Amino acid sequence: MTSGETTDIESSGRQPAFLIELGGLYGLWLREVKRSMRDRGQLIGGISRPILWVLILGIGLNPYFRGEVYGEVSFVVPFTYLQFIFPAVVALNIMYTSVQSAVSVIWDREFGFLREVLVSPMSRGSVLLGKVLGGATVAVIHGCLVLLLARFADVPLTWLDVLKALGLMAMLAFALTSLGVVIANRVRSFAGFGVFSNAVILPLYFTSSSIFPLDPALTQAQTRVVYPEWLVTLVQYNPLTYAVDALRGALIDYNQFDPRLGIAIMLIAGVVLFAIALFDFRKT
Amino acid sequence: MSPAPIPRPAIRVDAVSKRYGRTLALDAVSFDVDEKELFALLGPNGAGKTTLMHILCTLLRPDSGAAQICGRDVVKQSRAARRRLGLVFQEPSLDDRLTVRENLELHGLVFGVPRKLRRQRIHEMLALVELTDWTDKPVQMLSSGMKRRLEIARALIHDAEILLLDEPTVGLDAQSRDRIWSYIRRLGIERRITVLVTTHYIEEVEGCDRACIVDHGKVLALGTPEALKQEYGQQILRIAPRSEEDRREILSRFADRLVSEAHDAILLASDDAFAETVFADYGGRVRSLAVERPSLATVFLSLTGREIRDQAAGARERTFAFGKRGGEHTR
Repeated sequence: MTSGETTDIESSGRQPAFLIELGGLYGLWLREVKRSMRDRGQLIGGISRPILWVLILGIGLNPYFRGEVYGEVSFVVPFTYLQFIFPAVVALNIMYTSVQSAVSVIWDREFGFLREVLVSPMSRGSVLLGKVLGGATVAVIHGCLVLLLARFADVPLTWLDVLKALGLMAMLAFALTSLGVVIANRVRSFAGFGVFSNAVILPLYFTSSSIFPLDPALTQAQTRVVYPEWLVTLVQYNPLTYAVDALRGALIDYNQFDPRLGIAIMLIAGVVLFAIALFDFRKT
Repeated sequence: MSPAPIPRPAIRVDAVSKRYGRTLALDAVSFDVDEKELFALLGPNGAGKTTLMHILCTLLRPDSGAAQICGRDVVKQSRAARRRLGLVFQEPSLDDRLTVRENLELHGLVFGVPRKLRRQRIHEMLALVELTDWTDKPVQMLSSGMKRRLEIARALIHDAEILLLDEPTVGLDAQSRDRIWSYIRRLGIERRITVLVTTHYIEEVEGCDRACIVDHGKVLALGTPEALKQEYGQQILRIAPRSEEDRREILSRFADRLVSEAHDAILLASDDAFAETVFADYGGRVRSLAVERPSLATVFLSLTGREIRDQAAGARERTFAFGKRGGEHTR
């Protein structure tokens, strides 16, 4: 019996290669989801964060939103503040969880688990995809935790709204988890990552028109009078602005921009960031 | 050495070299491991054993030379090579938060083991390493010896033809070490697989089919433990002189017999007559005088001029060394 010419295809036996790849993908995805569900800290964060933001900040600032306190109304958004920030809190919860899931890339690398997967017959692309999809799934679940608060925020939801939102949330979660992995690949320690995530998540969130609206009734020039120019510029260049806007469209039917813009930006960001993450990962 | 023609070596290592910065970790290492063989790679820490393991499991590329797993080149056909390997790394690589079963399930999925076979293998392997009672416990709860056993079980959930174990017993107590070796031997017999194991515990090599002694990235000797003992083994006289003066005197008088000088002992190549001479002359001036029969330990001593146990590093030094030579996370 001679060997030699035998290649990759042989001996995988009963299953075709793509099914094996798919099985591995499922395994890695399941691992991410199980790990996160067992992480109490992450769950507590995922529950307490929306409660703080929606119930405390939202209700607290609600009266000021339409100038009711000072009786001076410069422009009118047809929503309460609570309703207005509700979709943004969904995005915030997804952000935190996505980035947190991506942190486990560092854990895997540091504690050897990654090696076990790297010596498997799975391709690097599938390994990374399993990881990112798992992280994104957990992030969407945490996003749904916010949706449970909808009735307290006076956001009436139909099933169609929820479905639309889920699609957007999945896109956002995928892009953000990929971003998290890209960052994690460039960070060498846990401490470093903590600082990094705070330096990325909160600034991105605050400058995404999540907690204050860019007034749609004002022209570009007028907006720049009401708000300082640098802030308007920041908000307009922040890709998250458009994601939050698309979510608002789905949840409270209010858009400052074309909702298709948000979808396009999330899709492009997802593909590009995943490609970068894969490029980094192939090098290891 | 010209062994009888072998149909196909399970592992072929052909003039593999690897350099980390200025240190040459592997210097044109060559050897073959036959099918169904229990083969040990013996050497002190830093000898290049782990580097070689990483090359064989395709995590590292050799700078030059080639290596094959069941005839598949580890660089050009890395995925085909990996499919045939079962691996136990020196550092643990289990997922602590998953249960024992979940870890094994994941491994089976990632290696494309069909569900039915997966269930059956998990059951068999857990029984073999005596962890059946722990099936649904999180891995966090296991002791380090149990984790090691689980890793051995995991390595063989798929149809591995070759089992590579990198220092499987390091850091474990004597009892756990014996257990692990009994599993390794049983596996060789029951699953009829090839086993390549690295170690720096000499006594563990005795039960292996063949052993390869490496140091500073070079192969020093290769053969069955018996052959190694016959070829390189020598009787050694271990002398612990009482005073510095005696020490110097012994050293200068028997300079040509000196094998090694360690701590407070002098090791001299010896035969029975020589031992008697030394005893007659210095009997009163030494703290201890011991004759060591030819063993793998004295083989190692004669080949390297060092005792292997001097080299055994603790977990911290290993991790430190791991990081210093680039680790995997800084690479």
